[in-house]
Amino acid sequence: MVAAPILDISDLWVSFPAYRAEPVRALKGVDLAIPPGEFIGLVGESGSGKTTLARAAMGLVPPPGIIERGQVLFNGRNMGQIEDEARRAVLGRELAMVIANPRAELNPVVPVGRQISNIVFYHLSVSRAEADRRALEMLRAVRIPDAERRFAAYPHELSGGMAQRVVIAIALACTPKLVISDDATSGLDVTVQTQVLDLLKTMVAEKGASALFITRDIAITAHYCSRIAVIFAGEIVELAPVATFFERPAHPYSITLLAAFSHSPELRLRWTRPPEVDAAPIPAGGCAFAARCVRRRERCLAEAPLLRPLAGGRSVRCHFPVDESVT
Amino acid sequence: MTVGTRFGSDAAAPATRVDAPWRRRLRFFFAVLRARPSFAVGYAIVGSVILVAVLAPWIAPFDPLKADPSVYLLPPGGRHLLGTDGAGMDILSRILYAPRVDLTIAVLGTLVSALAGGAIGAIVGYYEGQRAWRRALSATVMRSADVLQAFPVFVFAIALVAVFGQSVRSIVIAIAFVNVPIYLRLMRSQVLSIRQLRYVEAAYVAGASDLAILWRHIIPNAIAPLVAQLSINIGWSVLLTAGLSFVGAGVVAPTPEWGSMIAMGFQNVVTGQWWPSVFPGIALGLTVFGFALVGASIEVLADPARRRILSGSMA
Amino acid sequence: MMPLVRYIARRIVFVVPQLFGIVLVSFFLVKLIPGDPAVMMLGPTASAQSLAELRDKMGFTKPLLEQLTHYLADVARGDLGTSWQTTRPVTEDLFQRFPATLELVTFGLLLAIAIGFPLGVAAARLKRGVTRKVADYYGLLAGALPDFWLALVLIYVFYTVLGWIPAPLGRIDMAILPPPTISGSLVIDSLLAGDWEALRSSLGHLALPVLTLGLINAGPILKMTQSMTERTLSSDFVRYAEMCGLPRRVVLRQAVRAALPSVVTIISVLYGFLIGGAVLVEIVFSWGGAGQYAVQGVLNADLNPVLGFVVFSAVLSLVTYLIVDLIYFALDPRLRA
Repeated sequence: MVAAPILDISDLWVSFPAYRAEPVRALKGVDLAIPPGEFIGLVGESGSGKTTLARAAMGLVPPPGIIERGQVLFNGRNMGQIEDEARRAVLGRELAMVIANPRAELNPVVPVGRQISNIVFYHLSVSRAEADRRALEMLRAVRIPDAERRFAAYPHELSGGMAQRVVIAIALACTPKLVISDDATSGLDVTVQTQVLDLLKTMVAEKGASALFITRDIAITAHYCSRIAVIFAGEIVELAPVATFFERPAHPYSITLLAAFSHSPELRLRWTRPPEVDAAPIPAGGCAFAARCVRRRERCLAEAPLLRPLAGGRSVRCHFPVDESVT
Repeated sequence: MTVGTRFGSDAAAPATRVDAPWRRRLRFFFAVLRARPSFAVGYAIVGSVILVAVLAPWIAPFDPLKADPSVYLLPPGGRHLLGTDGAGMDILSRILYAPRVDLTIAVLGTLVSALAGGAIGAIVGYYEGQRAWRRALSATVMRSADVLQAFPVFVFAIALVAVFGQSVRSIVIAIAFVNVPIYLRLMRSQVLSIRQLRYVEAAYVAGASDLAILWRHIIPNAIAPLVAQLSINIGWSVLLTAGLSFVGAGVVAPTPEWGSMIAMGFQNVVTGQWWPSVFPGIALGLTVFGFALVGASIEVLADPARRRILSGSMA
Repeated sequence: MMPLVRYIARRIVFVVPQLFGIVLVSFFLVKLIPGDPAVMMLGPTASAQSLAELRDKMGFTKPLLEQLTHYLADVARGDLGTSWQTTRPVTEDLFQRFPATLELVTFGLLLAIAIGFPLGVAAARLKRGVTRKVADYYGLLAGALPDFWLALVLIYVFYTVLGWIPAPLGRIDMAILPPPTISGSLVIDSLLAGDWEALRSSLGHLALPVLTLGLINAGPILKMTQSMTERTLSSDFVRYAEMCGLPRRVVLRQAVRAALPSVVTIISVLYGFLIGGAVLVEIVFSWGGAGQYAVQGVLNADLNPVLGFVVFSAVLSLVTYLIVDLIYFALDPRLRA
């Protein structure tokens, strides 16, 4: 009995119109379904469309971007067409985001405890005293030392790691059904990063929520996610359970990503295509990754591959995936 | 102009035109004007005022200095479209001739202040925080600018005019003096933020002289807010000139100038003849308004971020 | 408390050399103004001997530097010299006239804030619509209209045509006795004294000049409020607040609060500017304010009023900036670090 996915993205196309030019397509036909309780990682490089996907999931595609085609359903609601008031009721309450760069995005003139308390106060319609109490509870839950005193602290008085915990506290304060973490740990020291991620995973599991974990760092996903999606140039190119992905990656781009962390320079070299100076431009209509793929052939230039299922619960967008074997 | 007009049309040649960058920019500019009609209004006003200033001798119906006491204080209408003032001079003609004086003064004064203030500000901003005596120099300049700006503007301007004698030249000097601190600060803050950028560092490491770095790398990128400020400032300088003339410390009567015209009609307003003062004021306000709009448009066009937002909304 | 005291002390230390610089520059500037004060004072028929005596007595024949030190010593004692036009000490004249200017400027600016601030916030919220258009054009137009001209137009409409306002001559009807001076503001003093006739008259005389200053200065306040609110509405922490689903009015309140420092700055700049900049309005309404006093000084080579006014208004400006910095201190906790 498969429960309805908490987040259901089908055939989503998001584009940004440009003056007297082709619109820039940030997302091209993305399909993603997240069932309740799942911790899924989304990996991609800068510009791949990860953040646009996250914002589209919240119904906050930044103008002038528009949803050209497809839909985003959160808990059954169409986030692309939701009204302002209804969206405000959902965000922060059932769907929350943990941001990167918390000290830039927290209100600099409001104490952090109050900021957590605000979320509870406005979403759950409790008294201010009750909201403050819960905020303090959250501060303790995210293991901020000396929580009572830190309640009145301003964001600039906190370290990066502590500010990140505050943002997690804000995200989880109303027990959301889905938490989106957008690159929430880049810029933190590695040790702090581990602590923060452990915390996030525990709290998400405790509250029975799902999590969409967006990152540029593929290595983290191995420890925290149950499924992993790789995004490139606005398209999902591989979707697989984590164990299978790391044992037998299928898409050449996935391997390039993994090879970047490998200790073997030969491996990295083998999977990285040197940039060609006089190469003819890749005609539109072919595979988007073809320009950088070491395995490309004629068919790749002519025909764009579709996302198709492979054995082991995987899907791959490639004409010639690296591993088609079954086990 | 398609390929091959000189030697007959070349039907086989591709019809694609590679636009020169300046032409592309011009086309973008006009598209912006269509998208933002208020900007277009601003440019139209400024253009008309400049045209009027140039063509005044040919389009003014009367001699602006001819005082005919027999027709004094005629209400608007008839031969004197906007009426006559207390000395019998035609108001419309005087309004048309006034931009010659006002614009000249305002543009000259603003340009001088922009050049002087910009140059000083660039030097101060570039050398600030570096070796000791230069730091002291820039601190002195900035404190002097503070002192200059602490002066009540209007009184300062009047005092300058009084010192240099009442003439167009001294009004220009007064306007220049009063505005220098603005451009100084603007250029300094721009230079301070630009000189930290990588490409300036690169030029420095490559051995370029200070002057070359300033001239070729920093100033071209710093100049945009100053140009926007120029237009707004010109408008404001026209107001200042009019104000000076109103108290009698500006242009010498009976030179046609909007401010002095308003002053001359002052007493008449109270007794009910409003036209000698009201019409020049409308012309003055419209002109300053036009310059403010042009300044606003330059602000948007010169800032890449806002330009992108604008072109996004136009797509 | 200590950081506050330290901050104020630091600022005051800066103020002293600035003040010194201002007095220095204005002294030399004023000395350059042509016109022989002795001739002005005694008239063209005075004998050469009495002119020479007067010049000697006033110290005009001494070297400039000596005159300067003399003047500085006087200023330190609080003596700003005498105006030959009013034949009274400048200090006295200023104490009588500055309250008039301050009353005018304060009420005018209050009106300007009342008009400009809400319109600016509304314009920032609404991307399109009538309110937005009106606000945009008003902001630009108000800054473009000459204040003395608007004053004339208002006089024509409300006095000449409608007759609602008394004649634009001074602050109060000449037949009415002004209330005892407590604050210097006729309106406040009338209220305090319970003198309704004086209150009505002073309010009536205050109406048009305040309206003029208010309407015109609402423009820059509107534009600054609008642009700063727009900027904060698109800033990171506002976007985050939207992401957390906070209600629209809460987000707006936070954005406006973040825009306040810039709005306060421009209000203070306007205040400092208007102390000398309301001159033209003062002249149109024969207000008897300090700016008018200084302008008459310049035009008649009466030097002490000009110097005195410059010193006074500079001090006022610097005090205003100090107060503004204190407000910043209260508004922004980051400064207290």
